[in-house]
Amino acid sequence: MADLSIQVHDVDGIAVVQPEGFVNAHTVRQFESALEELARSGRVTILLDCEHLNYISSAGLGAIMGLIEPIREQEGDILLCNLQRNVRSIFETLGFTQLYRVFSSREEALRTLAGKSE
Amino acid sequence: MKAHGSPETFRLTIPSQTRYLNLVTGLAKRASSVAGLGDADSSKVSIAVDEAVTNVILHAYHGDAERWVEIELCFEPRDLVIHIWHDGDGLAEDEITLPDPGEYVTHPRKGGLGLLLMSRFMDEVHFFESPDRSECRMVKHVD
Repeated sequence: MADLSIQVHDVDGIAVVQPEGFVNAHTVRQFESALEELARSGRVTILLDCEHLNYISSAGLGAIMGLIEPIREQEGDILLCNLQRNVRSIFETLGFTQLYRVFSSREEALRTLAGKSE
Repeated sequence: MKAHGSPETFRLTIPSQTRYLNLVTGLAKRASSVAGLGDADSSKVSIAVDEAVTNVILHAYHGDAERWVEIELCFEPRDLVIHIWHDGDGLAEDEITLPDPGEYVTHPRKGGLGLLLMSRFMDEVHFFESPDRSECRMVKHVD
């Protein structure tokens, strides 16, 4: 199995990014490139569905941190859902749940986004 | 277990390449479990080890893939002690200033989070330098 695979789906104008595996210093360029490509193409509302993300290190956090401001400047956002316990622990430990909106499920995130855009 | 209270240890030496991170962190997580840590703490140890080894590869060796990183896991009666040795650029413990995570919330930026995660997830983190090699030593208490 590859260390990381990434699927991107479009759901009503929202880019749902589903990483599977590990985001660390070895795989971070792949992860960062996927996010950068979305931002370049103007798909700036990004939902990171972390259901199958087993692990993220500071390298992966840095990739998200590096993009959050440019994306918000384009009136987009990076949101997260389905965080596994260890991934949630990292975000909570660093206080990053204040920086990113975190949802318990993809459905909840999409419902909230749809409600906001109505 | 060795006689006379000597802690059981094992060592692993890897090339200084990030492709081996997953192997090392998987090992650290399993070792934590063997030491008696729960799943949440084992995950934290594995993340701290990832960060420490990544620091060696990227900062001590500046990405040179032809060097080595030695990891030793030491099962003390009340602690899991992890030593990470290398012969690249050392880090002076008294020169380390951990960033304030609040600053990342107000001004998001890359970098500086690895040492912060290590310090938050382990009970002790120390750095030692000697003429022939440098060490990062991390301790997780086993309740």
